[in-house]
Amino acid sequence: MSDGPEKQVRARLAPVAAWARAMASAMRASIPALILASTAAHADTLHRFALIAGNDTGGSDTRPLSYARDDARKMHDLLTRLGGVAPADAKLLLDDDAKDFLVALSELEQRARAAQARGERTALFVYYSGHAKDGALRLGASQLAFDALKRRLADAPVDIRIAILDSCRSGALTRTKGARKAPAFDVESGAARDARGVVILTSSAADEDSQESDALGGSYFSHHLASGLLGDADRSGDGRVTLFEAYSHAYARTVADTADSSAGPQHPTFSYDLAGNGDLVLTDLRTSAEGLVVPGNAPAGAYYFVDPGGMVVAELDKAADTERRVALAPGTYRVKRRLSDRLRIGEVEVARGRTTILQEPRFKDAPFSDDPVKGAMLDKGAWWTFGLTGGFQSFFDAQTRQSLFLSVPLFGAEAELHDYFRRDWVWGFDAAVGGTNGALALPTLEGPAYRYSVVNVGTSLTAEWPVGRVAPFVGVRVAYLIMGRKFDDGAFPDQRFAMVSPGLATGARFQLTRRLNLTARTRLQYLQYTVDAQRSLGFWELAALLTYQP
Amino acid sequence: MRKLALALPCLLAVACGGDFSNDDLEFQNALPQREDLAAKLPDSARSGQGLGTRGQRLGASQVLGGTSQLALQAYQAGTQFNTSVDGLLSLLELFRNAPPTTRETDRRIWGPFPADEHPGHELRFVMNRQGDSFAYLLQYRPQGGGEGAWWTYLPGTFKADGGIRKGTGTLALDLKEARKNGFDTKEATALDRLDIDYQTLALPTNVELLFTGAGATTPLTRYASRQTPQGLGEMAFRLPGVDFVPGGLMETLDILARWTPDGRGVLVLNILEGDAKGAQYTECWDARTRITFMQRNWDFLNPTEGSRATCPDVSALDPQP
Repeated sequence: MSDGPEKQVRARLAPVAAWARAMASAMRASIPALILASTAAHADTLHRFALIAGNDTGGSDTRPLSYARDDARKMHDLLTRLGGVAPADAKLLLDDDAKDFLVALSELEQRARAAQARGERTALFVYYSGHAKDGALRLGASQLAFDALKRRLADAPVDIRIAILDSCRSGALTRTKGARKAPAFDVESGAARDARGVVILTSSAADEDSQESDALGGSYFSHHLASGLLGDADRSGDGRVTLFEAYSHAYARTVADTADSSAGPQHPTFSYDLAGNGDLVLTDLRTSAEGLVVPGNAPAGAYYFVDPGGMVVAELDKAADTERRVALAPGTYRVKRRLSDRLRIGEVEVARGRTTILQEPRFKDAPFSDDPVKGAMLDKGAWWTFGLTGGFQSFFDAQTRQSLFLSVPLFGAEAELHDYFRRDWVWGFDAAVGGTNGALALPTLEGPAYRYSVVNVGTSLTAEWPVGRVAPFVGVRVAYLIMGRKFDDGAFPDQRFAMVSPGLATGARFQLTRRLNLTARTRLQYLQYTVDAQRSLGFWELAALLTYQP
Repeated sequence: MRKLALALPCLLAVACGGDFSNDDLEFQNALPQREDLAAKLPDSARSGQGLGTRGQRLGASQVLGGTSQLALQAYQAGTQFNTSVDGLLSLLELFRNAPPTTRETDRRIWGPFPADEHPGHELRFVMNRQGDSFAYLLQYRPQGGGEGAWWTYLPGTFKADGGIRKGTGTLALDLKEARKNGFDTKEATALDRLDIDYQTLALPTNVELLFTGAGATTPLTRYASRQTPQGLGEMAFRLPGVDFVPGGLMETLDILARWTPDGRGVLVLNILEGDAKGAQYTECWDARTRITFMQRNWDFLNPTEGSRATCPDVSALDPQP
């Protein structure tokens, strides 16, 4: 587990400094904005649009990131669930290039323009997690100059523009976002200061690295920003998390968590010019009926909410006698409190459409060795799914599928090892059986009835490209096929053929629930037939696969 | 786990191949089975009750209500027929369900294998296909002999008509060639060759056995069997040199026997040569092989005994127009 939580305690005062720093930045940008910062937020009247992009790769001179796309997914889920962004007004780009980014931005601008024409006030959120270097965002092999992005945002036909850039630096020994030490882009100078109506948050200051954490399953900055938006940042306790609250929370936690890292402390930056729009509510915890309430009488201190995968999805720094709300998505979470000499661990079920009250007295004492987050960190890197499959196999050659290897339905079981070789690579193991009845129709022999059967075992390696709940994939597979036929007439001998078959697999995995996935898949395989003659044959398989992640 | 992933394909590669072959099935379909060639005898005949001796004199035991010696003679002929067929087909059993050793286009070869019953020899079975016609050879050669040393003990042919062993075929046992190559033909020393012609294409199916005696140029004895899917059976055979009628000459008999599955039957005997040349005798029997009807064409006073209505209907075996 990361030792971040302990640092957070030590850095409890850091948000105050961060807030002052943010205010100083804001004052430089716009004094009227500071005056309006304490006015009521306008979240309820804003038509919000969001462009969320995550890219694990940043060109050949950078090392792939592990969690940029995950961070983007989390932010997309959060903004559409709690941030007032309708799903139709949100675009999630995963591993897309700069051209796709600008196209998506144009589409949102077009929608925003239409909204403005209807007299609506509009806001545009742009979130990016990935590489940045030499003054440009690195979206895979493509680049998007930061100045160009800022100008584009400044010109966007919306009333408020908020850019959150969780971008990378390099050179540290720990997991950092980047490949080499390079001057950081400074959002607090240059074009940022000229961009009125634009708020820009970055995950790190100039010459700093932005760092990822395996224990958190994401970058420190995005994790704390998301955790803050779920409720931890709601210092006022009014059930709404504003931009300033979110930033100050993310700042404090990020600095605390990274203070002792080999890459050095990471200081998020904030450039502010809301041009009279005042503070802005980013998430409204009251919009969702479901969630978790930590009652006022629960002990004060830090609470960590851990999902079944072992990831800390939210944190809460609770004061004494203060009720706090955490807008967790429906599901089961382990809740951890860290005391000086032990842990207090409990479990809570957040039901859909209901508010759940945390019962801290039901927690149990546990030694530090039972830390649920620590266990998750050790397991992180590879995970299994197990499933059942049903499909159909048929050879391309008509004569073959009519008189030799018949078309058959297949039923089987599969196991998949995810992220073993590298992230989003899936090593699959499958076995299936199928059979059908047939009758010989050969030039000199017609009529003998038989039972045709296939046993199909294989292993595959596929690469996935998750986009939201859908993960298209393509890969290779090697199978071992055993085909046989047994004749009703004992005068004809049973026959069998076995062969190794290489092939390709492609399809898409759809996440039905947190643990259940449905995969639609096509395979194209090659088979060398060697008995009557040497023949190169091809066959296809269509299948649906339902998998469960324990 | 990575080592396992590498080892597994290697193991599977070794376990590749098989006998999944359409052509093999077509070749195998060209070989006759026992049920294609064997005469269908009634249960009473198979139980072997009261099989008489060959060549009993006409009139000695032909009594209405008495046991039909001719029926037993016909069943005995059928049993011997089947014994001969079995002996010949047993030579093919080794190859019937075994995958061939060599597969070539329109050709399959089983062997060479050591010939256990003929020490010092090895055997092989060769099948060739030309269109829908198949020819096969069971061959032997002295162990270590070259390609030219193979000699054929059992030749056969089959012309397929598309169904399961439907077609016309021939099968032979060359005993003369076997003896020439040092084989002991045991009780078949009096024969040079046994031929089988059969057709399973149309009903009734028929099989013909031709025995060629040692030194003879034409077949000595002919047995023919026909049968229908309903279980009617027919045995036609010629018996030369039988003292069937009192007198100085030996008779040559031409016998046509037909029976039903429950053992009733009708037999027509023609004397082709001998003391009563041209005579014809007809006899019917019941399920217990007792004579129910007799007809003699030479007896003007009492040509028939019993009722013709007791004869079973075996007209399904009559030649179709």
